[in-house]
Amino acid sequence: MSLQDFFRPDGRHLSRGGILLLMAPFFMLIAFAFLYPLISLLSLSVTEPTAGFDNYARILDNPVYGKVLLRTLWTALLVAITSLLLAFPVAMAMVSSSGPVAMLIGACILLPFWSSVLVRTAAWAVLLQRNGLINEAMQWFGITSEPIRLLYTQGAVVVAMTHVLMPFMVLPIYGALRNIPEDYGRAALICGAGPLRVFTEVTFPLALPGVLGGFILVFLTALGYFITPALLGSPQDMMIATLISQQLREFLDWPFAAALVGVLTLFVTAITLAFSKIFRFDRMMGGQV
Amino acid sequence: MDDVVQAQTGTPPVRGAEIAVDGLAKHYGSLKAVDEFAINIRSGEFLALLGPSGSGKSTILMMLAGFEVPTAGRILIDGVDCTRLPPQKRNIGMVFQHYSLFPHMTVADNVAFPLKMRGVGRTERRRRAAEALKVVRLDGYGARMPSQLSGGQRQRVALARAIVYEPRLLLMDEPLSALDKNLREEMQLEIKRLHHELGITVVFVTHDQGEALTMADRVAILRGGKLQQLSPARELYERPANLFAAGFIGEMNMIPAQWDGAALTLGTGERMVPPTGAVVGTVGQGAVTLAIRPERLTVCDPVTPDALQATLREVVYAGAGTLLIAALPDGTEIRARVASASLPPALTEGETIGLSCPPEAMLVYGEEAAA
Repeated sequence: MSLQDFFRPDGRHLSRGGILLLMAPFFMLIAFAFLYPLISLLSLSVTEPTAGFDNYARILDNPVYGKVLLRTLWTALLVAITSLLLAFPVAMAMVSSSGPVAMLIGACILLPFWSSVLVRTAAWAVLLQRNGLINEAMQWFGITSEPIRLLYTQGAVVVAMTHVLMPFMVLPIYGALRNIPEDYGRAALICGAGPLRVFTEVTFPLALPGVLGGFILVFLTALGYFITPALLGSPQDMMIATLISQQLREFLDWPFAAALVGVLTLFVTAITLAFSKIFRFDRMMGGQV
Repeated sequence: MDDVVQAQTGTPPVRGAEIAVDGLAKHYGSLKAVDEFAINIRSGEFLALLGPSGSGKSTILMMLAGFEVPTAGRILIDGVDCTRLPPQKRNIGMVFQHYSLFPHMTVADNVAFPLKMRGVGRTERRRRAAEALKVVRLDGYGARMPSQLSGGQRQRVALARAIVYEPRLLLMDEPLSALDKNLREEMQLEIKRLHHELGITVVFVTHDQGEALTMADRVAILRGGKLQQLSPARELYERPANLFAAGFIGEMNMIPAQWDGAALTLGTGERMVPPTGAVVGTVGQGAVTLAIRPERLTVCDPVTPDALQATLREVVYAGAGTLLIAALPDGTEIRARVASASLPPALTEGETIGLSCPPEAMLVYGEEAAA
């Protein structure tokens, strides 16, 4: 293929062959490092130890697994909601600031990416331990009389995961907010809307694509999150990623772990499809903002 | 505020708001975007704020709307001091340059939005929104989304949204600049008609002088944040208050001359005695500018007394009219727009012609007016 064939005659857009060529390395990586292992793992779940859905039946039979799955969904939902509540004001502040202030906020958002998730999780362990900063502060202020258990709770997991995942909520919301022309707010004001109604009637609805995008990103990432629940959560409140890892490493039960992966994948796919339905609906309503 | 929900008096026209602006200023650091601006706008008047970009016209509109707080000065709307009143409490209608329709609402919901904010009930809202859409001739478009409309239709919706709650003042921020020429002319007439029908006071910001002259009762010319001239369209064109206004509105020949208190001496020594009315403002002796509109000049024999002799450089024929570009003996370019039918048949470039104008077409500006 000559370079000429790479472009469409207009010279600005790529030809179909050009697009395929650009995507080829990525497709190969996906196929080799994601699709192949996933398919072979899933096939393991229906072929070992006997062909059929025995492994999946085991998940349904024991209510413990259902509980783990529900807890995982609930935790991910909590993380997504908390992230949203924290991220929206930050995104609003980013949009309405400029110059050094905007750079400072941006740096605060991106700063966590410069350290590893492990470090950030360990930091929370330090803060939340029995004689950690938070326990001492609460006693000093007289909120509690003795150290309470903060570490190894679902709360610790939610807080630390929110901290790690919040940037993924801020950025899409920021993008959506920044695309709203300044005149929309003015138009709403001059129409008689107070600042609160400008937010509820115009700003928030128009930021919804960003909110949904951030929400799905954080929620789905939280569903399969491993390190933070493993380090900060309690073994009694296990999440599915920890369960899968336990099955693999402690019980060496690959087929059952594969079945759990299958269930998680099913949920993720279903939720993604549901969200994209909402997305398309939204685009139909809003046109291009 | 009590007057936010206006009493429905039934039939228009409503009485337009009276606006008094006094000593208005907006400074951004050392930049004076608006400086000592004062104006009284009559009830039902259509006022255009005209000026190049950076002249402060938009800043004035933003202060009238309440989006900017003035550094100094007062804005009275119907005698009520609104200088620091937030925009949502001013009960003003506004049309923005890029329509600013809410893309997630239908046309009807957009138009009904101000009524919703005023607590008007759903059925009443629908009825009045439909009525406003009828006024802008978009009957039956209520169920569509703004993205399904053309530019002109969107601007009509924006107009309907701005008038649906019967405000007494309508602000327009270059509302037609995003439309193509034909549509713009159609919308100019449409807005004029609405203004006439509704009796509303309109303040219209534009950088297009033709638009300002066509639409406005009075035009305020701004430059560098200062008011240059405030007059009816015809006066603005026929007797600009200073050199800036003279050069900004329409085409103008600017001929350097010396003034001795009674007569003008042009660059190469020709003397002219303009009528006393030709001197604009107070003009001291010395260097002045003689200004003549190109369409006031006619071609005559070069030896005619009082005619300007010029060398013809270019003849641009454009059907009904012809543009003649010529040079005075000292090199100053002079343009004449004449009816093609009045021209001698054989005009050749390089030929010496005479240009004359009626005495009342001459305007003399002093040097200080150029500042």
